[in-house]
Amino acid sequence: MQHFLIQALNGVQLSMLVFLLAVGLTLIFGLMNILNLAHGAFFTMGAYFGLVVANKTGSFWLALLIGPLLPFVAGFVLQFFILQPLAQRGRSTHLDLALLTFGLLFATAGAVEYIYGSAFHSIATPDMLRGRIALLGIEYPLYRLFIIAVGIAIALALVLVIDRTLIGATLRAGVDNREMVTALGININVLFALVFGFGSALAGFAGVVSAPVMSIYSNMGIGIVVTTFVVVVVGGLGNLKGSFYASLIVGMTDTFAQAFLPEAELFAVYALLIVVMIFRPQGLFGAVGRVA
Amino acid sequence: MSTEVTCRQSEPRAALKLLPIPVSRRACGIPLVLLAAGLCALPSVVSGYAMTLAVEVMIAGVFASGINLLTGYTGLVSLGQAMFLGLGGYGIAIGTALLGWPLWVSAPVTLVVVAASATVIGAICTRTRGVEFLLITLAFSQMFYGAAIKLRWTNGSDGMTGIPRPDLSLLGVSADSPATFYYYVLAVSVLALLLLWRIVNSPFGSILVGIRENERRMMSMGYAVANYKIGSFALAAIVCAVAGILQSQYTYFVGPDSMSWQMSGEGVLMVIIGGANVIFGPFAGAAIFVVVKQALSLITDEYNLFFGIFFMLVVAFFRGGVLGAINTLIGKLR
Amino acid sequence: MSALEIRNLRKAFGGLQVISDLDLKVPSGQRHAVIGPNGAGKTTLFNIITGWQPPTSGEILIQGIPVQQGRPDLVTRGGLSRSFQKNMLLESVTVLENLRVACQAFHASRHSVFRSCRSFSDVVRKAHDVAEQMHLDNVLHRNVNELSYGQKRQLEVAIALCAEPKILLMDEPAAGTSPDERANLIKLINGLSSELTILLVEHDMDVVFAICDVITVLSYGKVLTTGTKVEIQSNPQVIEAYLGQHHA
Repeated sequence: MQHFLIQALNGVQLSMLVFLLAVGLTLIFGLMNILNLAHGAFFTMGAYFGLVVANKTGSFWLALLIGPLLPFVAGFVLQFFILQPLAQRGRSTHLDLALLTFGLLFATAGAVEYIYGSAFHSIATPDMLRGRIALLGIEYPLYRLFIIAVGIAIALALVLVIDRTLIGATLRAGVDNREMVTALGININVLFALVFGFGSALAGFAGVVSAPVMSIYSNMGIGIVVTTFVVVVVGGLGNLKGSFYASLIVGMTDTFAQAFLPEAELFAVYALLIVVMIFRPQGLFGAVGRVA
Repeated sequence: MSTEVTCRQSEPRAALKLLPIPVSRRACGIPLVLLAAGLCALPSVVSGYAMTLAVEVMIAGVFASGINLLTGYTGLVSLGQAMFLGLGGYGIAIGTALLGWPLWVSAPVTLVVVAASATVIGAICTRTRGVEFLLITLAFSQMFYGAAIKLRWTNGSDGMTGIPRPDLSLLGVSADSPATFYYYVLAVSVLALLLLWRIVNSPFGSILVGIRENERRMMSMGYAVANYKIGSFALAAIVCAVAGILQSQYTYFVGPDSMSWQMSGEGVLMVIIGGANVIFGPFAGAAIFVVVKQALSLITDEYNLFFGIFFMLVVAFFRGGVLGAINTLIGKLR
Repeated sequence: MSALEIRNLRKAFGGLQVISDLDLKVPSGQRHAVIGPNGAGKTTLFNIITGWQPPTSGEILIQGIPVQQGRPDLVTRGGLSRSFQKNMLLESVTVLENLRVACQAFHASRHSVFRSCRSFSDVVRKAHDVAEQMHLDNVLHRNVNELSYGQKRQLEVAIALCAEPKILLMDEPAAGTSPDERANLIKLINGLSSELTILLVEHDMDVVFAICDVITVLSYGKVLTTGTKVEIQSNPQVIEAYLGQHHA
């Protein structure tokens, strides 16, 4: 029972990390119809930049705050100066842009390898969050609970912003009818670039947050990003709530599979993907039954 | 943030720019004869290095041709075709090394297994389209990659060695000699190209093009589109597996990296460079790619970085691929 | 048995009832129009009839046989072919190729993987025949993206004819055409076989009156009235809502 509870909490913790990545990806896709295959690069970027900050200042919290800024800027620049102009010139369909980000994936994998080599790094857990806490008959690391809390908090904040605020309404309107929103005097390009930056920053944030429990290394983005892709497809591309629930499902599946069937590794996750695709190709929460 | 009926899902054009088929016969005639003569004479006139490059180009070309059938002709952009490349190589490795079958049994069995698994995988993947299809093919190939690394009976990440080349002793030659192997690969490549050429000009091929152009309309016309997509997926997989067999025979080795997303990406890039849809495009793309890769590896260790940049530039600016650009040029000159 | 019969059709998108209790019988050979303002449910109706969207409840019978949802290809096989409001053409190939592929749909050759498509001359011949019928024979070898808009609309309808349907559904065939193109299209449609049942959605009343004998008026997803040209033109409710003054 204790073992089960620990695994369940680990599962939720992993789910929250994956959610932070998935939400950026799916937000960007839902609003701009761009699939950023290099999304994992922002995860890596945030972690490394956070590492630099942590090493310079010795503060985890500063790393958490400042780390995501680099991916934010990178994402903004990518969308505003590269993806947007290409899309507007009509040269590239959404598929083209996805392929472009695939090239970016190669490039960033190479760049990170070049700059940092293949050594493993880490950021120390902040003092305030060290140690374990007694919970429901077990002792669970406080930091992991922190990750869970952060994930849920961000999920709630996002739902509030997207559904209830003017910015959220503007974004939703911008996806539906870009020209109309521009005609209303809103600079949709800047808005989209900001959202892209924000989604990337979330990934970077996840990178810093994950650092105390996972290692920082040049390929760290790749492993978690494939899980993220599965989450995003299972949840329904573009569906925010879907990605939350899917993160939970996938995170739990992965954790329990690893705990009880260590040989299976990612197979459980892929098996889940296959089953979902057979019965609901649009994702568990995606728009219902398009014929074509 | 949900989507509905028309909007983003009805992408009538595929990402990759196309040329109208069929390719004019007259334009092909003389250059084709010259090319054929050149290819046959190659081993006698060039150095060993150039010959190995040629072999690499042909193998890459077969791989890219398989991808082209699915991507350029049917409009389904997949980032997971390397799984079939790898399956081809692993297939004969398992068949010859583990099961002790001779090559002439292992190869066909491998292709049958690939066809069957591709049909199943295709049936699942083609339930999606566009970027979801991209992602799910990527996920599937990552799954195979993971399996290849973990499975002990295929030596995990060390890969399998000792892949045999075809026994050509009946013809009095040994496939271990570079020149002989070159002709073997040339023969297989030509056969593959002929096969693809027939497929593309057949009614089946025309239906694939129709699906790429306007899938909804094809359904409206009365075609059971799903079946054709699966068929295209399976045929493409078989061609990629043939390339995988050739590849593993070339290096006498197969490893998990042959199934990586990097390999899939390289294949897609070759198709984009060469110009999807034209039957020689994949080979032209393969040639350019192999040469660029060789050149890059001489200049720098940072292959991934420059390759990635190159990839992005090609996708952004070379809408018709190199052959497309040449064709446009010829059109303008006429 | 009617060519097309719709019984108790209902369609709701979430809380929005788009079609309610729609009954319609179209006898064989009739030229029937469905008109009504935007939002009346006309295109949704077409999508449901052709299997692109499932109804919430109700039945669609094509020549007495119920429509299987989610399979537009089977609907066409059952004898009902459709042309679209927005051109749905195979853009990068020729006009002839568009028609040939359409004519190939029920031909045994469609399974062939090795023979050249050109070797199936009966399919090619059929494509030529349809092209002649729709006055496209002089642009057969042009690429679709080189055609004028009016010619594309002609091709749009021609493709639907290739399936040799018993019932032809046309979704605003004259949408966006110039007066000349419209007149040409009307002439071509009127020239089609009198055995062909036609169901037309149109906004342009000139086109409706030129082609159709019977008109059904939809309003907010319900049938307001069905009648002949004359009856509709003199129905005060209809005049007020949809036809405007000059047709009175």
